[in-house]
Amino acid sequence: MARKNQFSVSDRFEFLQGLVTEFQDTDSDESKEQVLANLANFAYDASNVESLRMLQVTDLFLDMLTEENDNFVEFGIGGLCNLSMERESRDQILQNGGVPLVISCLSSNRDETVLSAITTLMNLTTAASRAETTDSAVVQCMLRFSLTQNPRLRNLASVFLQDYCTREQVDRAREGIQGQSQSVVGIPLPKD
Amino acid sequence: MSPECVCKVLAQNTPQIFLYSMLKLSLFEGGQKPTVFVSVPLNANELLLRTEGRKISKLLDNYVHSNRSQTKMERLKKKYQHVDNISECSVANPSVWDTQKVYKHHEQQNVAQTRAKYREGRRQRAVKVYTINLESRFLLVQGVPAIGVMAELVQLFALYGVVEEYRALDEYPAEQFTEVYLFQFQKLTSARIAKRRTDEKSFFGGQLHVCYAPEYETVEETRQKLQDRRRYVNRASQNTAKQYYQQPEVSTESSSTDTRASAAPEIQKDFASARRENVKSDYLGFPEQPLAPTEDVSYRLPNFTQPFQLQWSTKTTLPTEDKMGSLHNSIPPVPETSKQSASSSSSSVKERDLSKRQENLSRPVRFMPRITHLESRKRKLEETVFFLNETETLIGPKLPELPKVDMEDHSLNVTANLIRQTMTKVTSVPEVKPVQVKTTTPKPRRRI
Repeated sequence: MARKNQFSVSDRFEFLQGLVTEFQDTDSDESKEQVLANLANFAYDASNVESLRMLQVTDLFLDMLTEENDNFVEFGIGGLCNLSMERESRDQILQNGGVPLVISCLSSNRDETVLSAITTLMNLTTAASRAETTDSAVVQCMLRFSLTQNPRLRNLASVFLQDYCTREQVDRAREGIQGQSQSVVGIPLPKD
Repeated sequence: MSPECVCKVLAQNTPQIFLYSMLKLSLFEGGQKPTVFVSVPLNANELLLRTEGRKISKLLDNYVHSNRSQTKMERLKKKYQHVDNISECSVANPSVWDTQKVYKHHEQQNVAQTRAKYREGRRQRAVKVYTINLESRFLLVQGVPAIGVMAELVQLFALYGVVEEYRALDEYPAEQFTEVYLFQFQKLTSARIAKRRTDEKSFFGGQLHVCYAPEYETVEETRQKLQDRRRYVNRASQNTAKQYYQQPEVSTESSSTDTRASAAPEIQKDFASARRENVKSDYLGFPEQPLAPTEDVSYRLPNFTQPFQLQWSTKTTLPTEDKMGSLHNSIPPVPETSKQSASSSSSSVKERDLSKRQENLSRPVRFMPRITHLESRKRKLEETVFFLNETETLIGPKLPELPKVDMEDHSLNVTANLIRQTMTKVTSVPEVKPVQVKTTTPKPRRRI
């Protein structure tokens, strides 16, 4: 990352623009994946966030979340996770209706996708968006995650529940889960 | 664990544990084939699975194949070959398995061979996205030759930062004759550097494979990591945003002064264009003559970006103007078209300007390499940005200010700035206290 400082802001902008153009023009899925991963990694560096925002890369990442290709989704949500750390990009994602798309990533079967989605939700939680990001379904989901064996998932979900949800929300979600499991599990459990 | 308990567990966990629990169930039944109707709440969606004993192994097959590389599977198969009931799964010794999972992010992926030239880096890399979730203070080091080189390994990693803890992971599945170590760094940045420098490097004949191990973090550490990252990004992006907006928008700022200025717009434009040229050539140390008359007019305009422009123009060895913009003190004769009576500039200021100007011009012209020049410009921008942020709400004509001369030396600049600040503080005192005239009452003297 230290090497990047040799490039001026405008050079960097042009390079990123080239990447976005290639992504839009190419037909090869493999190239698309590589470029998407590049962009997502560039989003990790704070000095690129401005350029990426101007290039509307937030929209690009959001579009990837509804793709069928799991790699696209994973890299897209990873890019959003990196971008949403910064305040203005976070606002841009919120304005473009990113919250429901990110929530849908919680049900992915890829660990990295789910982890990135949880972190992105944390970043996207503001006073205005709290109701949406800590919706009861989301809290229930987090509660289940906090009980798994996967330590990364468990840690992130615990941080979410502790720092972003109120006690009432968590209690309500817990009751909701218990109610559900009793009705759906087909094995008659012994009453003792 | 009774079958009922197992089923309770099923209702709460992810597929991995579900399958493991299912397997236990089948073993438990000792060959019987229970038909289990289970609902596993998978994230937000409920998943209903009906399985029979036979089908368990097939499910496991799919699961294992999708999550493990072929070679690791072979290795694990050999390790647990004595277990007959299980066809291909590696979940034989549950206690060992529970503590030592080989996660997907530990695996080394293949590098991408088909990158376009313009976006190829110096090293070949795999297609992978790094987020703050993946990075961690914990590093997992695999491929260390088992020849008793732990001390040297620790020395190597200690080069990159303070290592809080390290240990050998004996339970971790390792290649034959290699060891696996876990390093805990004090800071995430050290871990990042260490990983970059040591991954794929050869070490005593073996190739190291270094990856992050965030699963060893506690909840508190994860929380701290996220908070630190957020704080850093916001701070860093503020700095770069300022730089980004200052550089290309220098010209737009000068044009934006049109709205506030009452002077003719073209003068401003001339000023902007002249200033741009000025910036490019000022390292030669020659004053820009066409610049003078236009600057003269603009400086009188109520304009909070004035100091910025002033700074911008009085770069290295230009003769400086006093607040009224007139260059009548400058040594090269300049046509003073609209010279204003310098009523506000005190004689002391003039003298100072004169001496500074003489100093500037008499000093031998220093040739600055372009990069140094750009860096010094950047530094000055940062200083003026600080100034700009403070004076945002100023309206009306500013009081005559001391001209900001660049002393061409950082320490001298710092001193000059300090003096300037003190001067502003002093001048900002609201009222001048009436000079207390000492009225000495004649001391009663004794007449001897």
